[in-house]
Amino acid sequence: MFTLRSRSVRALAAGVAAALVLTACAGTHDGDGGSPEGTVTLRVNYWGDFGLDELVPRYTAAHPHIRIQLNAGDYSQQHEDLQKFLVAGSGAPDIAAIDESQAVQFRNQASKFVNLLDKGAGAYEDDYLPWNWQLLRSPEGRQVGLGTDVGGQAICYRTDLFEAAGLPTDREKVSALWPTWEAFLAAGKRYEQGSGGKKFVDGAGLFLEMVIRQQPVGYFGPDEKLAMDGGPRVGWELATALVAEGLSANLQPFTPEWNAAMKNGGFAALTCPAWMQGYIQGQAPNTKGRWDIAYPPGGGGNLGGSFWSIPAQGRHTDEAYRFVEWLIQPEQQIAIFKKVGNLPSQPALYDDPAIRDFRNPFFNDAPVGRIFPDTARKVTPQYQGRLTDQVRTAVSNVLDQVQQGKISGPAAWEKARSEAERAAR
Amino acid sequence: MPATPMTAVRRSASHRAPPPASPGRPGWRIRLSRWDINYTPYLLIAPFFVLFGVFGLFPLLYNAVVSLRTWRLDDPTRDGWTGLDNYRAVLADDRLWNAMGNTIGIFVLSSGPQLVLALLLAALLNRRLRMRTGLRMGVLLPYVTPITASTVVFGALFAQQFGLVNNGLASVGLAQVDFRAEKWSSWLAVATMVNWRYIGYNALIYLAAMQAVPKSLYEAAALDGASQWQQLWRITVPMIRPAVLFTIILSTIGGMQLFTEPLLFDTKPREATGGSDGQFQTIAMLIYRTGWKELDLGRAAAMSWVLFLVIVGLAVVNTVLTNRLSGGGRR
Repeated sequence: MFTLRSRSVRALAAGVAAALVLTACAGTHDGDGGSPEGTVTLRVNYWGDFGLDELVPRYTAAHPHIRIQLNAGDYSQQHEDLQKFLVAGSGAPDIAAIDESQAVQFRNQASKFVNLLDKGAGAYEDDYLPWNWQLLRSPEGRQVGLGTDVGGQAICYRTDLFEAAGLPTDREKVSALWPTWEAFLAAGKRYEQGSGGKKFVDGAGLFLEMVIRQQPVGYFGPDEKLAMDGGPRVGWELATALVAEGLSANLQPFTPEWNAAMKNGGFAALTCPAWMQGYIQGQAPNTKGRWDIAYPPGGGGNLGGSFWSIPAQGRHTDEAYRFVEWLIQPEQQIAIFKKVGNLPSQPALYDDPAIRDFRNPFFNDAPVGRIFPDTARKVTPQYQGRLTDQVRTAVSNVLDQVQQGKISGPAAWEKARSEAERAAR
Repeated sequence: MPATPMTAVRRSASHRAPPPASPGRPGWRIRLSRWDINYTPYLLIAPFFVLFGVFGLFPLLYNAVVSLRTWRLDDPTRDGWTGLDNYRAVLADDRLWNAMGNTIGIFVLSSGPQLVLALLLAALLNRRLRMRTGLRMGVLLPYVTPITASTVVFGALFAQQFGLVNNGLASVGLAQVDFRAEKWSSWLAVATMVNWRYIGYNALIYLAAMQAVPKSLYEAAALDGASQWQQLWRITVPMIRPAVLFTIILSTIGGMQLFTEPLLFDTKPREATGGSDGQFQTIAMLIYRTGWKELDLGRAAAMSWVLFLVIVGLAVVNTVLTNRLSGGGRR
C-alpha cells in the first residue's frame, strides 16, 4: 500500500516537474524561439492565402537564424484578435496583416505599432502608389504599415446576359458604354428593358462606396469635419438611383443569397476589385467564360488590399522589419502575384511582363494585368477620417433601409445625414 | 445545503476529547488532523472560488472601474476618470433603449414558448415510449450543434429570395416576408433559432426532475379521475417547481445575453448593428459594437453594468413570481 502511494506520488511529482519544464519552455518560446543558438521565431498573422508558403523557405535558407511561423486565420478573427492583443499589451504576432477597410482603426492606434519610418521604410515611399502609402500614415506622421497588395476596381459583367438584352458584349465597347455614372444608369435601364425587367446590378452598397472613393473628399475632410454634402452626396444619389430605377437586385454582398444570384444570373454586373475574380470563380464555377471585365465609370478605384504591420509589443521588431522589407521587394511581389494573383501596391511592377501580359481565361481572357493596375493608378488620394468606419457603417445601413423599401427619396438622405452626424460625434 | 454537514463535522471535531498526549510532545499529528478536518473542506471548494474570482469577480469589478473612465482606443489622449459620464451618455442613448426593447422582445418570444414546449415534451418523454432513450438523447441534438452552423442554416431558411420559409409562404398564397427588414419578423426568426436550440435542453432538465415525482401521486390522482392534462398541471408542475425556477433563471440570463444568433443572422455580422436600423440589435451586440467597433471601452463597460443590473433585477422578479405562481407563497 505504502509503495503504491509513494509510486503515485512520484509519478505526480514527475508530472508536475514535466509541466513546469513545459511552462518554462513556453516562456522562452515567446522570447527567442526556444532554441538555444539564438534563433528567432517570427509569428506572422494573416488570412486566406498571401502566397507566402513557398517564399518562407527561401528566406529562412538565406537567414538560418530566423524561423517563420505562418498563421493563416479567418479575416474577421485576425483583425479582432489583433485589436485585443493591442489592448492587452501581449499576445500579438511579430507581423500582422491589416486589411484596407480596417486601416483607419489601426492607424488611430499608431503608438501601439512600430513606426516603420524608424526602421528605414521611408526609402520605399516613392515606390508606392501615393494613396496607398498615405492610408496607413497616422496624423502624427507614424507609418503603421507597408502595402503588399491593392484591389483596383473594375466592373465584371455577364456577356451572355448583356447579349440577350441587346447590349454590346465586347469589353472595349462596354467600357465606352459607361464613361460616367449617368451613362452607367442609362446602360442599366437599357438592360432592364431589353431583358424584360431583370436586375442590372447586385446591390447598391458597393457602388455607394465606389463612387464616394472616386471623389476628391470622402466622408471627412483633412480637417476631420464631416462633409456629407460633398462626395457622400454624389455617391448617395447614384446608389439610390440604382434602387429607385429598379436596377438593383438589392442583395447584400458576401451573403448566401448574393452567391446564389451570382450563380444563376440574378444580376448582370457588379463592382469588381482584382480579388473578386477569385471569389466569382469559387462561387460560380458554372459561369466560366460568360464573364468579362470592363473599366469602371468615373475613372479609377480601389477596394481592399492589405498591409504588413509590426506591433510594437514584439521583441524582435528589427528581424520582423527585415522580413517585411524582403517581402515587398519586386521579386517577391511578382512571385506572390503569380501564385495567388494579389496585385502589388508598387506601380513600377505593373510593367513587369508577368503582370502586364496576364489574362484571365475565366473572364473571357480579359487583360486583367492591365485593367486593374490602370484603375489602381487612377485612384484619387482621399483623406480617411478617424471616424470614417463608423460613419460608413451608419450610411450604408440607411442605404440598406432604402433597399428594403422602408424609406426613400429626400427623407432617406436626411436620415443618412443625421445617422452620419451621430456616428461622427 | 453545504452549511449543515460542515458544521456537523466541525462540531464533532471540537467535541472530540483531547487525547492523553504524552508530556513534552505537542501532538502535531492531532493538530494536523484537526487542521485537516477544519480546513480541508475549504481547500476542496477553493478551486471554484479561485476560478470564479479570477474569471468572474475580477472582470466584474475591473469593468466597474473601466466604466468610470474614458477609455477610447482610437484616441488615447482622452484617457482619464470621468465619474458617471459614461452612464449618463449610455442612458441617454436611444440605441440602448432600442437594444433593450429588442432583447426583451426576443426573450419573451423565445423563453415563453420554449419552456412550455419543453414541459410538454418532457411529459411526453416521461411516458412509456418505444426507443425512449434514443428519443431522450435526440432532443439534445440541437443543443450540441455548433451555434454558428445552425445559425447559418436558419439564415438560409429565412432568406428573402430563395429561403425555404418564403417558398412555403408563397406556395400557400401568402406574401413574401423580408425577415431581416422588420422588427417583428426578425425577432420571430431569432426567437425560432433560440427555441429550436434550447427546447430539448430544458426538456431534459424537466424530465430529470419528473423522474423524482412519486408514482403513487399519479395513481391516486388517476383513481380520483384526474385527466392526463390535470395531472400535468396539478401534480407534475408543482412537484418540479425548483427545476422550473432553475430553467426560468437560466433562460432569463441567456435571453438577456443573447448574442451569437442575432449577430450571425445579420447580413453584415462584422458590424454588429443588428439589421439596417437596429431591428434585432440586442444589448450584448450593442456592447460589443461600442467596445470593439467604435473602440469606446469605457462606454461599453458602463453598458455591461446596466445589463448586469437588469439581469439581477429580472432574476429577483422571476424568483418572486415563480414562488407566488406555482408555490402558493410557501417558503
